[in-house]
Amino acid sequence: MGAALRYWRLVRIDTAGKRQIKEIKPAKEFFADTFPEYTVESDVNDTEVQRLLLELSRDAPADRCLLAERCLLCFISWQIEQVCLQLEANFGNVHGFSCTDLLPYVLDDDGRLQPASSYQCLSRKVLQSFDSAQSSLTNWTTTRVKQDPALNKFLLELGVYLISDWAILNDTRPKQLERILREFHSLTVSEIEYFSKLLESYHLIYRVQRLQQRSLGIRGKCSPPTTQQLEEIALKLESQIGQILKSETVMAQLQNLASRLRQYRIHARGGALPTVSRDAMDREGISAPQVTNSEENEDNQAEFLQLYRSQFLVCLEQALALVIGSRIRQLQSKKADKAKTFLAALQLIYCQQLPMTAIAKQVGLRAQDAVTRLLKLKEFRADVQQQLMLILRDRVLVLAQNYFNLERIQILEHQIASALDEQIAMVVEEADKKSRTTKNSLFADQICRYIDKINK
Amino acid sequence: MRNLSSNTTQLNLDFEVLDTAAIPLSDEQINQAVELSNTIRNSSRQWQTYINALALFAFEQWLKERNNSLTINREHCTVLQPPLANAIASVANLQVGEFKLCLISTSSLSDMEVPLSKIVVDLPEYVPHFYVLIEVLEEQESAVVSNFLSYQQLVENQVRENLQAEEDWNYQIPLSWFENNLDRLLLYLRCLEPDVITLPDVKSRTQLLSTMQSELVALLPQLQSPESELWEVLTWEQGIAVLTNLELLNWVYNSQQADNSSIKTSLKDLLKLLTQPALNVGRWLWDELDELGQQFSWVLLPSLTPTAAMRSPTEEFQAIITQLQNRGLEIPSQARGAYHDLLLAGIPLRLYAVTWHILSESDPHLWTLLLVLGTASHDALPLRLKLRVSDQTSILLEQETNQEQGDSYLFTRVVGGWNEKFLVSVSLMDGIELSLPPFAFYPGRSL
Repeated sequence: MGAALRYWRLVRIDTAGKRQIKEIKPAKEFFADTFPEYTVESDVNDTEVQRLLLELSRDAPADRCLLAERCLLCFISWQIEQVCLQLEANFGNVHGFSCTDLLPYVLDDDGRLQPASSYQCLSRKVLQSFDSAQSSLTNWTTTRVKQDPALNKFLLELGVYLISDWAILNDTRPKQLERILREFHSLTVSEIEYFSKLLESYHLIYRVQRLQQRSLGIRGKCSPPTTQQLEEIALKLESQIGQILKSETVMAQLQNLASRLRQYRIHARGGALPTVSRDAMDREGISAPQVTNSEENEDNQAEFLQLYRSQFLVCLEQALALVIGSRIRQLQSKKADKAKTFLAALQLIYCQQLPMTAIAKQVGLRAQDAVTRLLKLKEFRADVQQQLMLILRDRVLVLAQNYFNLERIQILEHQIASALDEQIAMVVEEADKKSRTTKNSLFADQICRYIDKINK
Repeated sequence: MRNLSSNTTQLNLDFEVLDTAAIPLSDEQINQAVELSNTIRNSSRQWQTYINALALFAFEQWLKERNNSLTINREHCTVLQPPLANAIASVANLQVGEFKLCLISTSSLSDMEVPLSKIVVDLPEYVPHFYVLIEVLEEQESAVVSNFLSYQQLVENQVRENLQAEEDWNYQIPLSWFENNLDRLLLYLRCLEPDVITLPDVKSRTQLLSTMQSELVALLPQLQSPESELWEVLTWEQGIAVLTNLELLNWVYNSQQADNSSIKTSLKDLLKLLTQPALNVGRWLWDELDELGQQFSWVLLPSLTPTAAMRSPTEEFQAIITQLQNRGLEIPSQARGAYHDLLLAGIPLRLYAVTWHILSESDPHLWTLLLVLGTASHDALPLRLKLRVSDQTSILLEQETNQEQGDSYLFTRVVGGWNEKFLVSVSLMDGIELSLPPFAFYPGRSL
């Protein structure tokens, strides 16, 4: 159930890219005429209304048929916007986009009664491919928007992606398929056998052609199989099961199979999206102590610090220089200004203790997510830690004896890690609380000193 | 109107967040991976090779970004050698510093189990210090280095849980055995001494190959069809013999590349080359016959200086050499020859072999073998007599007596490196065939 006006008011974007509602008078009159029982304010039964509109759009005389279609297109535009809003709600904040950024990719219906040229807007494609026996118009619109290549490309650049049915099928091994269908979907032996043969036939045709496309330089998402590919798949399948299938049937069954695999995938990944931002997860990762603080450990740590304190600072600076230097070289090889952004962000987080979102604004990155991706703090700390250990090992001969088995090296790593972690956790927590009153940690001090030095 | 409808819950779950640790793959890397996979005929192994190559490139990039002091050596890496990639489903024999690594590309379906081939678990030739899992997002053109497991840990767990391989030569390894803290992998690669993880010793497989020779001759041609899998045709023991022998893997790979009618013969020749002791003709240059030469009654001929004409092998040999020189073949005076008499279906034949070291700027280690087949009685050669020469890769040539001309000799000449051997076989049309011990050339006194 939803408001009636969605059938004659179109959501669109104007030339300046702003959202706009356009009322289409003929559609409004047509709707009032066809469904006199509804007023502007009333809720409508979408299923019923859409069923009749669809009928009319197919069988009515030309002018009425176009109007019925227009009403449906208006409805679709609202649903398209809903999908974009949902994407914004789920990912917009962390990945730095809003609904407005997404709309231009998918909301391209100009509101004409008839399409002006050969160009087909997305809503018309949705309507034309819609099969009421398979799905509701709402769900079908959602599906098509989600799969829109341009939208997907934009989202992927921001670190959000939707794996396509075809990539899922490409990535499934026969054995794995059997197990998932048996254990997760509880299918019968003959069903499993049939799907295995279907997947095998699909692999034989589709993967080879995907590779051919790749070799022609075609990038990006896997496109749905062409009619010809479907026919070839049907032919392969026929040789296996002795039954001839129509292309449409093959397509439907492949999608069925993919959706089963997708359900499993969602289940296996824990059934929900990570709702915590990466930033927050990173923070959790370090503030949680890696070693249980037993007395013995504390003793070890104290002993360790006492032994190596004199070496510690010198080595830490060396380790920082090595790791930062190597990061900068890596980034420079990609894009010169990326290295500068990296240093600036590092300075902001450790020396000024700004939160990631604020840093994003200052260094001109889209969102917190991009800062996380650039800084890779967790890896950064681990690299410094290990580098420090290597340098310490060279300096302190006693230490070398500890390197002869996996267990010893783990213990030693723990000791250094906890010594360092204490420092690091402190500074990140401070950064998190935006507290500027607390004294800086050793680790941050060293980083800031180092950055100052290279900026001179 | 901007309320969110409830029917979009499906959407919540469909879109996923690209791991911030995901490594983007460049167009160039994708092209290279496609190119590598193009050399594989079996379509599923072709795809696997493509995905594996992407995994390798992503891993190299990851390692480079995290550490610029570790050296990566991909010289022996299986995925970069088509005959090996054709047989092994993972990326084995990647060298990082002093460690051997094996990369396993995992599916995006996040299974609780990872298939690990017996090949990289049970064959010392391919066993690594560490197995590393890499999730390749082919469609998203990126990959995530995700988990790892040391060989030591694997073996300990395997013994404890008594894990057996399945009939397709795969172990299903629980994902929980793997460690997801990759910093620790880096730590080991940077700091650990490689001998802390003891790898099994590589054994000599010649004995195994010898005992299996006839079985392999019968079975391996079944692998000519690209869709067949090693485990479908061979027992694991037979598999070991093939998988530990690069020449045999090459043969399997080559046999799948093109239709080849003489495939069985080339396989027989190859197995003889691999298992039989070889005659070192290099010693001829020292005026010596090795033990094998003596055993097979080779007779060393005097060096190529004009000698008094006698109706003898020496005289005949000189006549042949002169004839060949007249045809424009250059034979240096250091060249040495020998002959060997053999009986084929009651016909006494004589094989002359001449060898010399070729001085070449491009490759200083080349030698040549000139073969002349005649009869011991100086008659015309029997009809349909064939002379065949093979090396480790294929049948190099096959000569047959010409029906009309009534030839008295068959000539041929092959060139090879010091590590190459040649197998010479003589046959008559009705399946009577005789192979001599392979010819090898090693300029020192022993082989």
